[in-house]
Amino acid sequence: MQSRSKLDRLLWSLQQLMKIDAMNIVILVIVVLLGWSVISDNIENPARYLPSPIAVAFSSVDMLVKGLLPSYFSDTLVRLIIGSAIGLAAGIPFGLLLGLNRTVADMFHPMMNFFQSVSGIAIFPIIVIWYGNSDMTVLIVILYTSFFPIAFNVLSGVREIPLRYINATRTLGASRFQVMKDVLFPGAMPHIATGSRLSIGFAWRAVIAGEMLAGREGLGWMIFTGQDADKTTEIILGMVIIGFTWIVLDHYLLRPMEERTIERWGLVQR
Amino acid sequence: MNKLIPKLVVEGLSHHYPDEYTGESVHALEDINLELYEGELVSVVGPSGCGKSTLLNILAGLLPYNIGVASVDGEVITGPGPDRGVVFQEHAILPWRTVARNIGHGLEIRKIPEKERKKTVQDFINLVGLTGFEDKYPHELSGGMKQRCQVARTLCADPVVMLMDEPFAAVDAQTRITLQEELNRIAMATKKTILFITHAVDEAAFLGDRCLVFSARPGRLKEIVKIDIPREKRVWADMNTDAVFIAARDKILASVREEVSVAVEE
Repeated sequence: MQSRSKLDRLLWSLQQLMKIDAMNIVILVIVVLLGWSVISDNIENPARYLPSPIAVAFSSVDMLVKGLLPSYFSDTLVRLIIGSAIGLAAGIPFGLLLGLNRTVADMFHPMMNFFQSVSGIAIFPIIVIWYGNSDMTVLIVILYTSFFPIAFNVLSGVREIPLRYINATRTLGASRFQVMKDVLFPGAMPHIATGSRLSIGFAWRAVIAGEMLAGREGLGWMIFTGQDADKTTEIILGMVIIGFTWIVLDHYLLRPMEERTIERWGLVQR
Repeated sequence: MNKLIPKLVVEGLSHHYPDEYTGESVHALEDINLELYEGELVSVVGPSGCGKSTLLNILAGLLPYNIGVASVDGEVITGPGPDRGVVFQEHAILPWRTVARNIGHGLEIRKIPEKERKKTVQDFINLVGLTGFEDKYPHELSGGMKQRCQVARTLCADPVVMLMDEPFAAVDAQTRITLQEELNRIAMATKKTILFITHAVDEAAFLGDRCLVFSARPGRLKEIVKIDIPREKRVWADMNTDAVFIAARDKILASVREEVSVAVEE
């Protein structure tokens, strides 16, 4: 009986999903594809200006067969993972360290806000001057874009932790490092979750921009060279993949992680 | 028990600080001298703003001072340390730790292995009457239970002196009476040296072996009232007919009220 009702519930929730989300999305996608096809059919030289969805699909099959697409895709993904992992690994402790002292925290707050507002694209020229068109340049820009949002968020989170928690832990004999580990880190957890998601989002944009400006492979490079080679199908294909990857990443990994953390902490921190 | 060597000594302690808004120098404490002997519970009472919380923060090591000397077991206080445990008025237990992990935090900080920790923690959980709540989070506890948890956390770290800053001020009247009797029992069981700050005269008289009355700002030690009632006889039900208690309470009350009227006139 138990398994029976579980199955029913599963079917029911699938139906619900189909009814609202999936159906809406399918309809929307069909409408967009249709509109796109109609425009593509009615302009001159569609291969250059706006290839039809079918042409894009063929080109993707072609690139899949040649193995180019998987290779570009994994290049970009690896860059994102390495860049944002280092960015988070450096940004979280940095935010916590600044937060150890209220005066230092208040002092650095505006500066961190300043740096997180100067987007990755805006620092590109100077990094290219320093490191040329290299993988190093791309990595530095990704690091930069993922470091500041997380560090700034962690710092904000630390500033919101009631002073009495810090004082109480200090009177138990805790060192500064122990206060950081036992009070600041768990206390800033919701901000760490939000900051991580923001950071990875910025890093994703930076990877693409970086590959366009200074890379030699990856999705960004693919759409950039598509322009030179008049391969509009590849440009559109790249854009679709970039958007789609982010939606999947955000919807199935980052957002659930953030929501779970905030929910759990919201329950605890009352 | 060595009655001759005090555990906590304060000599000639004065404290001034600049007012947050006007920048004027505020004179919070003036020439405080006091000694706490082993196993003694001393209550401090005075009108609000008399600097009693300032005194506690200095003793806790959370507030730097430069006039006078304060020491515990002969060691001059320069910052927070595990020799002085503090129970704060507001709930200061960490909301993301369970009751047991909060209580064991001091031992964890001292890197006591988990196995050893567990037994000690359970002893203190039982002592403060939180048995069965080991795995609850603070938001699942009532105000009184949170304060029990805080007391247990402080005791579990085994400080030389326990400093308590109006710990029962924020709980309801019924709970407060119970907590006062519980603290009396705990003081008896653990023989801890305790400095208990309060603005409630009844509480000061009920708990203190001695009660220090502070004057209005700048806080001076105005009067010391001895309360000679054995701990085992301190039960609220008997206090209304206890001549010693009534006399001590009235004396403290009169002393505090003089100061309150001074503060109001100023």
